[in-house]
Amino acid sequence: MEALGFRDDAADRTAAIAQNSLQLIAFSIGEQTYGVEITTVREIRAWNGATPLPNTREFVRGVINLRGTIVPIFDLRARFGDGQTSPTKNHVVVVLSVGDKWVGILVDAVSDILTVSKDDIHNVPEGNSVDTELLNGIVTHDSRMVGLIDLHAVVSGAKADA
Amino acid sequence: MRVLTVDDSRTILAMLHHTLSNAGFEVLQAEDGQKGLDVLKTQQVDVVITDINMPVMDGIEFIKHVRAGGNHNSLPILILTTETSQDKRDQGRAAGGTGWIVKPFDPEKLISVIHRVVH
Amino acid sequence: MSDLDDFKATYFDECSELLTELEEQFAAISDGERTPDRLNAVFRAIHSIKGGAGAFGFSALVGFAHAYETLLDHVRDGRIDLSDEVSKLCVRANDIVADFVAAAREGQALASDYGQEEKQRFDALCSGDDDGGAPIDDFDIEFVPVMVNLGGDAPAESDSFEAPPLAGATGQWEIHFAPHSELYARANDPLLLFRELATLGELTLRAVLSDVPPLGDFEPHGVYCSWEISLVAPATIEAKILEVFEFVEGNCDLSVVYLGAEALEAAEAAPVAEAAEEVAFPSFGDLAASIAPTPRPEPVIRTEPMTLRATPAPEPTAAHPEAETERRNGVQSIRVDLDKVDRVVNMVGELVITQSMLTQQMDETLRARYQELVRGLEVLAQTTRGLQDSVMAIRAQPVKSVFSRMPRLARELAQKTGKKIRLETIGENTEIDKTVIEQLSDPLTHMIRNSADHGIESPEKRIANGKPDTGVIRLSAEQAGGNILIIVEDDGAGINREKVLQVARDRGVIAPEAQLTDEQIDQLIFAPGFSTADAVSDISGRGVGMDVVLSNIKKIGGSVHVRSWTGRGTRMTLRLPLTLAVLDVMLVKVATSPYVIPLSSIVETIQCSRADFGRAPSGAKVLQVRGEYVQVIDLAIRFELPSDAHENNRFVVLCEAEGSVKVALIVDDIIGQQQVVIKSLEENFERIEGIAGGTILGDGNVALIVDVQGLKSMHLEHRNAA
Repeated sequence: MEALGFRDDAADRTAAIAQNSLQLIAFSIGEQTYGVEITTVREIRAWNGATPLPNTREFVRGVINLRGTIVPIFDLRARFGDGQTSPTKNHVVVVLSVGDKWVGILVDAVSDILTVSKDDIHNVPEGNSVDTELLNGIVTHDSRMVGLIDLHAVVSGAKADA
Repeated sequence: MRVLTVDDSRTILAMLHHTLSNAGFEVLQAEDGQKGLDVLKTQQVDVVITDINMPVMDGIEFIKHVRAGGNHNSLPILILTTETSQDKRDQGRAAGGTGWIVKPFDPEKLISVIHRVVH
Repeated sequence: MSDLDDFKATYFDECSELLTELEEQFAAISDGERTPDRLNAVFRAIHSIKGGAGAFGFSALVGFAHAYETLLDHVRDGRIDLSDEVSKLCVRANDIVADFVAAAREGQALASDYGQEEKQRFDALCSGDDDGGAPIDDFDIEFVPVMVNLGGDAPAESDSFEAPPLAGATGQWEIHFAPHSELYARANDPLLLFRELATLGELTLRAVLSDVPPLGDFEPHGVYCSWEISLVAPATIEAKILEVFEFVEGNCDLSVVYLGAEALEAAEAAPVAEAAEEVAFPSFGDLAASIAPTPRPEPVIRTEPMTLRATPAPEPTAAHPEAETERRNGVQSIRVDLDKVDRVVNMVGELVITQSMLTQQMDETLRARYQELVRGLEVLAQTTRGLQDSVMAIRAQPVKSVFSRMPRLARELAQKTGKKIRLETIGENTEIDKTVIEQLSDPLTHMIRNSADHGIESPEKRIANGKPDTGVIRLSAEQAGGNILIIVEDDGAGINREKVLQVARDRGVIAPEAQLTDEQIDQLIFAPGFSTADAVSDISGRGVGMDVVLSNIKKIGGSVHVRSWTGRGTRMTLRLPLTLAVLDVMLVKVATSPYVIPLSSIVETIQCSRADFGRAPSGAKVLQVRGEYVQVIDLAIRFELPSDAHENNRFVVLCEAEGSVKVALIVDDIIGQQQVVIKSLEENFERIEGIAGGTILGDGNVALIVDVQGLKSMHLEHRNAA
């Protein structure tokens, strides 16, 4: 269970949710579905462009203004090594809190809110290094495979020289 | 009832304010004797509590000025000081001080001393 | 208890001001200004620190401050001469008081013998003068710290005034009380004393009017009345009775005698008239009136015996509304929580953005059509600007608060290094944003340490070099346009460039073959990982070098520059923004991205088509301006942005980096000037080289702030690495 390791957010889980289950926001990138724990989500907004940040890796799409605060946007597709997303107004930014920072991740669409049992979470199979690096686990829901995003891993290594 | 507190220490002024306003007094403040005199020019107060050691005009001078004005002969003035040596207290009384309070003060004692000098 | 915490916060705030004051006064005193005013100010500062400490029960601080205060009292009235030795002792004592205050603030205890040695020296000095004065050690008795009790649960011991009569025999007290005129002159009022006596037991008063003269001899301010008082109260209450008369002692004839229980029985046998529940004591006016119809030579007037009951404390009276307004005129300043000011600062920031957004929305068509609106917007812009300045002024504080901590540092450094050091401070009233001031302490400490450790030479060496044996470190502050310059300079040996260069190469701070100018070498002392101390010394060391200075200063939007003259000294200049929150900038475009460049660093802008570019021998592009060759940084290249602007349509923004070194930035377009509110990138992301932060434009988009100095040093690194 601890394999999930939502490091800073464990304490935030609401008592309303049964001890052994998790609520996830599920979103899609192409055919693949990913999820983050719902308690980390701060806001979901449509893509409206971002100011590029120089000398950062390609998955850093830039920064946006979120009610007076500057928030970086990470392109999740690019983060998984599948090239930059060509975003439209239909693309979605999910704003999340990671530790004491707020970050946005750019995804194709938000699909669902899922309640999953912790017992159904499986370890990420060895082999694909990007998946093992960026996922905390895999959960099966309605015969769909949902990758649980390790937010800390996603936002690390953003600088170009890193 | 209105109290004028005169002290150059903000800490003491804040504590006096807290204690006195909790006891139902209206509290005016001044940071030195000169400012205290300025307040008395325009304000009616029922009792004055003053420190001795202050810049610009010290407590002794302040009391002398208050008494010399002629308008405040019956205004009770309490000397607030850590100087427990008899000579400071005597100087304060000789200048026209009504009574004294020794710092650090016990809030209840402070109130009871005020009631000893004011109706 | 939060009230108590508030008082403590006030107290510690006040203490830091008082400690600052102490430093200043002693600096002046040691310069020979031993005026009574200064000595009084010093005495008062220690006195105030002690007073507050007593209220909070900081007994160690109280103990030391009391002893020190006694010494100062002796000094200020001339019983002890302020010799150099005493003066030094006082300066040391100030440091100790500061340590006690710091310990109290942190809730820590210092070693139990801390300051004892100095305290004993005070003792010895004070007992050496024959006038006596209070012995120092008796403060425990006369100065018992009493914790402030702010809650409703009052300590039982102070209830005595309301307490029921004490246990033990009750009997009759006979008190004779004859006030002198001084009693009235000091606004003491017999009636109040009687009221207090009445709380101790059953009180019977008899006014003795036998001394009242015939009307013709009656003086308005004469005192003709005395009182016989009998009080039925416990036999043990004498101290309480005397306490009632405490304030009038010496201003009256007073005798207090306990007659015992028998007297009480005898008195009860005699008829006593019951008086009305509340009887006001006749005033002198009333007395005179009652005397008037009976002008007998020796009047014997017997007033009714009266029983005074303990009356409840008077109800507080409500303030008069007109008095309320009058009172406001007397208010000179208020203290406001910094959080509240910051909230206003933030809101004003947002207002600035909204205002500039509105202005941007006004295109030419709208301008032509709605002239009233245009005028209104202009007024709005002006007002916003004024509001912003006013709010910033609230946050501004003199640098004094941080400068005043440095003399102590210099003293300690002198002691540790065995060097002779004099610290001079200039411009300490220069005002700067409070947040900037808070960030200044560490960098200044490092810089002064560096000067003392590496700059100033030993007295022998200085003399050998024909310098005075005492080295001078000068700390100064001045405003220069939109910046504050803080300068630390010394008259020491200057930077040893050969050694710096060697170390920098050894530690890989620069490439082995890099050729640097003297100025670039000097600047290396701020490079990360650089420290010239062969062994990490106790002073400059602690494992951190001057790079901490640079990163701290950069964090608050400032820059550092160093210049050195061999054998003559070193000057380090901190350039700091006046305020952290708002920046005047030029908005430019690089590819499709908006960037802003601080106006304070811009010298001029030139169209690329008119610029005089050339090639340096290294092949690097340079710009020739008025006979000067300037390094060129193309932002599109540096930031790896795809620019499709035609070379001739682009612009050169000529900037000045530290030490008046110019650098030419090439951008794709210049949009205009505006004010922006600086937002942190690091809050949610991380620092990016060459970017000082971000800001939100009128259209809601984010623009990045160009860090001119950072770009320049970055460029240097790139070249050196290449």
